[in-house]
Amino acid sequence: MENLLMVQNLFFYYGDNEALRDVTLPIRKNKITALIGPSGCGKTTLLRCFNRMHDLYPNNRYSGEILMDGQNILDKKVDLIRLRSSMGMVFQKPTPFPMSVFDNIAYGLKLKGVRNMNVLKERVEKALRDSALWDEVKDRLNHNAGGLSGGQQQRLVIARTLAVEPQVILFDESTSALDPLSTQKIEDLMVELKKEVTIVAVTHNMQQAARISDFTALMYIGGLVEYDETEAIFTRPKHAMTEQYVSGRFG
Amino acid sequence: MNTLSNRKFINFLAMAISVLCASVGLILLVIILYDVLSQGIDSINFRLFTQDPAPPHLNDSGGLKGAFLGQGLLTLVAAVIGVPIGVLGGTYLAEYGRNAKFSKIISNISDLTASIPSIVIGTFVYAIMVKPMGGFNGWAGATALAIIILPVTLRTTQDMMSMVPWSLREAAFALGAPYYKVIVSIVWRASMSGIFTGVLLAIARVAGETAPLLFTSFNHGFFTLNMQGAVPSLTVSIYQYAASPYANWVKLAWAAAFVVTVMVLILNIIGRLFIRFKVKKG
Ligand SMILES: Nc1ncnc2c1ncn2[C@@H]1O[C@H](COP(=O)(O)OP(=O)(O)OP(=O)(O)O)[C@@H](O)[C@H]1O
Ligand SMILES: [Mg+2]
Repeated sequence: MENLLMVQNLFFYYGDNEALRDVTLPIRKNKITALIGPSGCGKTTLLRCFNRMHDLYPNNRYSGEILMDGQNILDKKVDLIRLRSSMGMVFQKPTPFPMSVFDNIAYGLKLKGVRNMNVLKERVEKALRDSALWDEVKDRLNHNAGGLSGGQQQRLVIARTLAVEPQVILFDESTSALDPLSTQKIEDLMVELKKEVTIVAVTHNMQQAARISDFTALMYIGGLVEYDETEAIFTRPKHAMTEQYVSGRFG
Repeated sequence: MNTLSNRKFINFLAMAISVLCASVGLILLVIILYDVLSQGIDSINFRLFTQDPAPPHLNDSGGLKGAFLGQGLLTLVAAVIGVPIGVLGGTYLAEYGRNAKFSKIISNISDLTASIPSIVIGTFVYAIMVKPMGGFNGWAGATALAIIILPVTLRTTQDMMSMVPWSLREAAFALGAPYYKVIVSIVWRASMSGIFTGVLLAIARVAGETAPLLFTSFNHGFFTLNMQGAVPSLTVSIYQYAASPYANWVKLAWAAAFVVTVMVLILNIIGRLFIRFKVKKG
């Protein structure tokens, strides 16, 4: 099985506050890796290392490595714009841009220099179809994206991310604000997307982790407790803490 | 039951008081408008916009063609100078410089500038521009107005941009957008109507200013586009003609006062409508 990313002895600090301690785990290509653990354990912090979101704020510091194609993406010399366009991110709350549905999806493409209107139309439609949103919005591509429902907005954000054809998509509790039906749609979508991209998903929902992920990592106070195939984590965990956490008797 | 009727009464009282206060404001506005209109009605006609002032002592009062144009010119040039600096400065404070100590200082100085009486700005510009340039001139007038526009625009821009949630910026960064594109295509876009409203209100404010022009662009009765010399304005015309002993000039001042009031009112209403529009859209 191929590793797309390899996290190696990763430490992360918000100023003097250590938020990740010696995390080592692989991210397998074309698989869904779930990050679980009690609130404040560092799941979001780890996720935001992959696209170097932490670099937006002063005093944040990494040590250790995240290897991708043999290169350490935490290196100072890495081109963040290139890196980020290969690492899509979907946040907890939907983040539609204040513009039309079409322009939302075309945003990343235009950043990449795609100007041809026919190409844009084609790619926007493909992204919307791939995110199972096309039928719902095809008649209102020119309407403001803020008018969509929460679930539709979240799929719009996924479509916007897909349009730039990233290698990885990072999901941070992306269904926690949605109703069961919208959640279901997005879960189906994530499983479908595995064919083309690698997914890392933070979730507090154990059933969700069990349903959709191939691998699961349990974190606790900034450290990795256990990483394994999801089935193993849920049926025969090696650590007592994992057993307690996945069965809901902890955290 | 008792507490419910109590609450209903308090509710009624609060509503009655606020309606009363609103009515006082509204009635005052109507009185001012009525007064200005009734005094100036004879001179409010098409000639007001097409003629120069008539000489004193005539029955006819002529018009204020030059002052209309001058006011427009001064306000326009002031906006062209003040608005871009204000918007870009506010953008710096809200974005690139949001964590810098330097920004706090600029921000405070700007707020201080906004509260300086406009006559002080007039005399300041007199000292740095009118005297060195050898006489009253339009550039000095426009600069004085720009100094008033600048801090208001800066503050509004900074506030409106700071209100845009960080998650929206992060979402754009996550797609690989460079910072300047995040600002232009996301943050400005999200705060555009708020910034526009602030700019409009700032312009409405200087459109009614007299003191900063009195010492800078001064006034005269002719039609001119020459910013190197004195430029007439409605507000200074009102000030001078109203204080003159000639009945026809006083009438002209009333007419000008009516027009200025209505123009400022319209600018304000447009600004408010924009806010309403924005709130409705959410
Ligand atoms: N910007 C920040 N500055 C300082 N400390 C932070 C910052 N963001 C998070 N932390 C701290 O880092 C630790 C990990 O936070 P993180 O947000 O990664 O947790 P999480 O596992 O995502 O939690 P949750 O499940 O509640 O989202 C916490 O102790 C938190 O207080
Ligand atoms: Mg989190």
